[in-house]
Amino acid sequence: MPDKRQKLNFPDTPNAMMLRRALFLLIVCGIVAFLVLGLRLFKLQVLDHGFYETAAIENQIRKTTVTAARGTIYDTNMKILAMSASVDNIYISPAEIKLYEEDATLIAQGLSEILGVDYETILARAADTESWYQTIARKVEPEVSDQVRAFKNTHDLKGIKLEEDSKRYYPYGSLAAQVIGFVGTENAGLYGIEHYDDDILSGVNGRIVRAKNAAGTDMLFTSFEDYYDAEDGQDIVLSIDSTIQYYMEKHLEQAVRDYDVQNGAAAIAMDVTTGEILAMVSLGSFDLNDYQMVAPEIQALIDAEQDEEKRAELLSEAQGKQWRNKAINDTYEPGSTFKILTLSMALNEGSVSLNDSFYCGGSVPVEGRDPVKCWKSPPGHGAQTLTQALQHSCNVAFVDIGMRVGAEKFYDYCEAFGFFDAAVDPDDQLTGKTGIDLGGEAGSLWWPANKFENPNNKTQLAAASFGQTFTITPLQLITAVSACTNGGYLMKPYIVREVRNSDGSVYARTEPTVVRQVISEETSRTVRAMLEQVVGDKNEGTGKNAYVAGYRIGGKTGTSTNTVLEAQTGEKEYIVSFVGVAPIDDPKIAVLVLLDCPGSTGVYISGGQMGAPTVGKMFADILPYMGKEPQYTEQELQTVDKTVPELTGMTAAEAGAKAESSGLTFRVIGTSAAVTAQIPAANSVVAAGSQVILYCGAEPSAALETVPDLTDLSYSVARQQLGAYALYIRASGPLTDPAAVRVTGQNIAAGTAAAHGTVIEVTVADKSDLGRY
Amino acid sequence: MQTAERTLKDHSRDLTISRGPVDVPFLMLTLLLLGVGVVMVLSASYASAYYDLSKETGGNATYYFTRQLVFALVGVAVMLAASRVPLKLYSRFSLWVLGAAVVLLAAVLVIGSAGGGGTRWILVGGISIQPSEIAKIGVILSFATLICRYGNLMGTFKYGVAPFAAILGVIVVLLFLEPHLSASIIIILVGAVMLFIGGARLFWFIGGLAGVGGLFLVAITVLQYSSERISAWLDPFGDPSDTGYQIVQSLYAIGSGGLFGLGLGQSRQKYLYLPEEHNDFIFSIISEELGFVGAGLILLIFALLVVRGYWIAMHSRDRYSFLVCTGITSLLALQVILNVAVCTNLVPCTGISLPFFSYGGSALLVQLGEAGIILSVSRDIPVTRAVKKRRPESVKSKQTLSEPS
Repeated sequence: MPDKRQKLNFPDTPNAMMLRRALFLLIVCGIVAFLVLGLRLFKLQVLDHGFYETAAIENQIRKTTVTAARGTIYDTNMKILAMSASVDNIYISPAEIKLYEEDATLIAQGLSEILGVDYETILARAADTESWYQTIARKVEPEVSDQVRAFKNTHDLKGIKLEEDSKRYYPYGSLAAQVIGFVGTENAGLYGIEHYDDDILSGVNGRIVRAKNAAGTDMLFTSFEDYYDAEDGQDIVLSIDSTIQYYMEKHLEQAVRDYDVQNGAAAIAMDVTTGEILAMVSLGSFDLNDYQMVAPEIQALIDAEQDEEKRAELLSEAQGKQWRNKAINDTYEPGSTFKILTLSMALNEGSVSLNDSFYCGGSVPVEGRDPVKCWKSPPGHGAQTLTQALQHSCNVAFVDIGMRVGAEKFYDYCEAFGFFDAAVDPDDQLTGKTGIDLGGEAGSLWWPANKFENPNNKTQLAAASFGQTFTITPLQLITAVSACTNGGYLMKPYIVREVRNSDGSVYARTEPTVVRQVISEETSRTVRAMLEQVVGDKNEGTGKNAYVAGYRIGGKTGTSTNTVLEAQTGEKEYIVSFVGVAPIDDPKIAVLVLLDCPGSTGVYISGGQMGAPTVGKMFADILPYMGKEPQYTEQELQTVDKTVPELTGMTAAEAGAKAESSGLTFRVIGTSAAVTAQIPAANSVVAAGSQVILYCGAEPSAALETVPDLTDLSYSVARQQLGAYALYIRASGPLTDPAAVRVTGQNIAAGTAAAHGTVIEVTVADKSDLGRY
Repeated sequence: MQTAERTLKDHSRDLTISRGPVDVPFLMLTLLLLGVGVVMVLSASYASAYYDLSKETGGNATYYFTRQLVFALVGVAVMLAASRVPLKLYSRFSLWVLGAAVVLLAAVLVIGSAGGGGTRWILVGGISIQPSEIAKIGVILSFATLICRYGNLMGTFKYGVAPFAAILGVIVVLLFLEPHLSASIIIILVGAVMLFIGGARLFWFIGGLAGVGGLFLVAITVLQYSSERISAWLDPFGDPSDTGYQIVQSLYAIGSGGLFGLGLGQSRQKYLYLPEEHNDFIFSIISEELGFVGAGLILLIFALLVVRGYWIAMHSRDRYSFLVCTGITSLLALQVILNVAVCTNLVPCTGISLPFFSYGGSALLVQLGEAGIILSVSRDIPVTRAVKKRRPESVKSKQTLSEPS
């Protein structure tokens, strides 16, 4: 036992146990622990490196998208139909507003003034201080975003951000709206060409990947930045000719108004020889620049609805309807226009000849169903040649022609015309498409082979002979009719003529594709001659209302009932249509017009009374535009509308002589020697024989006249009546015999006030021989 | 008896007059770590100094670095000065140091400035000091003194446990009032180490461990912030934007460093992602920039330093030096181990700085001063001692040598 004092003093050395314990500490704290830490580091840095690296990079970088410039859509003449321009999205970063201690109320104040966004809304978004991104306004035009930029810079506000975006502009508004389509907020094509060729148009977005610090600003001294260049989208040149498109839309809209068309209308213009789509119209239309907006009368109906859910439903229904391209998205029973095809196959097969005679007693018995009635029943058309049967659109004769062709041949031709693709199983429903380069093309619906070719039941064959009980798209019909008139070649329709690179060079060009030759050149020639008789024969042609003075036009009317609807509800809804081809001696353009469910307006519901005049008016505009000079006959020279010459400044005598030589009459008001004013204005087009008023010193009256109702008046009587009010008339379209054709529509409604000299454009039609043809 | 006393006096006089050189490996390792540490403070603190998150740098990117450099230079001077002070002197003032630490710990509760979740700092002449740092060295020095004084009585409860537990109890209670959990842990551990090498019976440690464990269990269940730490520790990715944020960002930094790192100065996580990137989490930035190779090398240097520290202790001339040297080395080792363990999410997150690396002037001064004490111990090791290999012999020879000739 050592002395206690000594113990309290410094013992000289640590004892053995102490050293042992120190060695233990050395091993634990100096070696083992560090080995454990080393292993842990090895796991984190070497074994799990990939995971943490990826996660860290995700953590550190901010990606900025560089939007590729979307391609332009041109019409065939390089007019811009759709283009993109740079705009800005405005957003705020509440986290940075907090970080830099910026005044949120100032920001809200400024932005709400510039952008018109609610002050409280902005303030509420700014309150979410966890967020780095709160959108305030999207696709802001450069003039406005410049103001935002200025505001941001003036107050040095880091919390306000601008982000480049692009906006789509459609210079023609509603022109060819369903064909062109539109893009959504994310610049993705949603409808039409914008959707179908989205890959071509959109290009490839670029990216800027930047390392950012946790505050979201660029890191210091770090070159960690990657650019991925944006690849601009390619341009698309459509075969659509915006002028033709415009004419067609104008006349189709007029038809929809005149005939109170309920379910919309469609029209297609096709280059007969190539299958190019020159125009494609679907009504009711909409403005591509504001594609959500529906027509005001529809909006009024929606607003009248009380229930909010119902309102939203109605709106989306209306939008879906206006965005549909009726020319290809919907199918219908074509009716009598299909007789062109029945005729073509019969002629091509030699089943009928021009000299054959067809008797129509009003109806014809058909195996397996009630007798088929002709539209003119009683008494029927009596004995008629093949041409007359077509001119008359005689169902009885065409059932006969169909029977002569026979179900199997008839079926083969329908397949050859592209109405369906053959199926392996003869019991299958058949369907087919043209394969046009547009989205959403509907498929046709045809009877299964076994049903159609049933020898004991000719119901389908009989009805198909005049175009009922199967459905096809309008595009399929016009494509087949083009084949019948272009020498027999079924073309694959197309609407994209070229794809161009952003530097303007041509990347791809669509060449016309012959799918197959269906009928011979000779048969086609015969069909053309017969179609001209349908339009050109003022006495017997059911398509005479499509006639345009000075031009050779062939065509066929169609009035079909929706047989499915009729079977279900007993309601009779008509689709009236007309397909015309011009010039029929050397076909260039085919035009199909389809009016779905015209209302009761006093105009007889039929393709002949509604479809034919509409196509005629279209041709009257389109053919001169295409450079086709009218070749008038002597008689036509007398009756076609005249252009009023410039008469002011001449002497009264000279002016009178000039007016008369122009096919007009005149009267003089006033006593001066010289003409000081004239009504109507020079270069107005008015009916032949209209009376020009020459003012010699007298002032024309500024009084307004009330436009009278001209409906059902003959063209010449209407001209005289209007003359009494110093109003004038012109016919847009076919004018065969001014004394015989009747006014069926006018562009200035009855009761409207109009100034002297106003020219009222009327639709005229020959109303003799009315029928559902 | 008188002889013995005389011997000691003579001996200490001898020491002051003719002491050997400092231990070069320990000095070099310390200076190496310090140098790398200062450079890493520059790299790690650059971004936060530039962005001035704490509103004290004024956007001066080298603000922290400059201050750390100055403290490092002063610290080296302190270290060298401390190495010249004989151990006897430390022993003489050891209880005063402890007393001062307790007074300061009490004072900090009254006049201290808050920061980092507790009231831990006292501002003295523009320099903020942490009384807990002084408490650590105070515990080591005073425990060593008491252990020497109690000698063989260390095996008893009355001498070997009770007084020490009382001291630790007072300190820990004061630290809990701040509160300063990490300092409490370190001080309890260091105290335990001192008792361990001082010869306290092992079963007290088992009992103590159970007691401390129970205490922590209570603390964790009572203190909400601690249990959050536990859940963040077990599943940091469960709430990576809030409670797990710091540790997740730390793991991102370490993991993305890979084998060779992103290069000195190339850290991305320091750009305001990782909080405390130049203090408690500086090791994560080191790992990111220097990779497994660099961070591993630094760990290796620390390990060498620790081993060398124990080596010096075991070769030290007397028991007091041995105890102090072991205590300081263990303190250093514990801080490094716990800091790195926190950065790598081996243990729950708590604020322990990395010696010689973490930004913080007063802590650096204290740490370098402590290193100076070890160097002072090393100077008493006669050159011939280095070749002696076995402990029992060395113990004997020590006794022999301490005899007056």
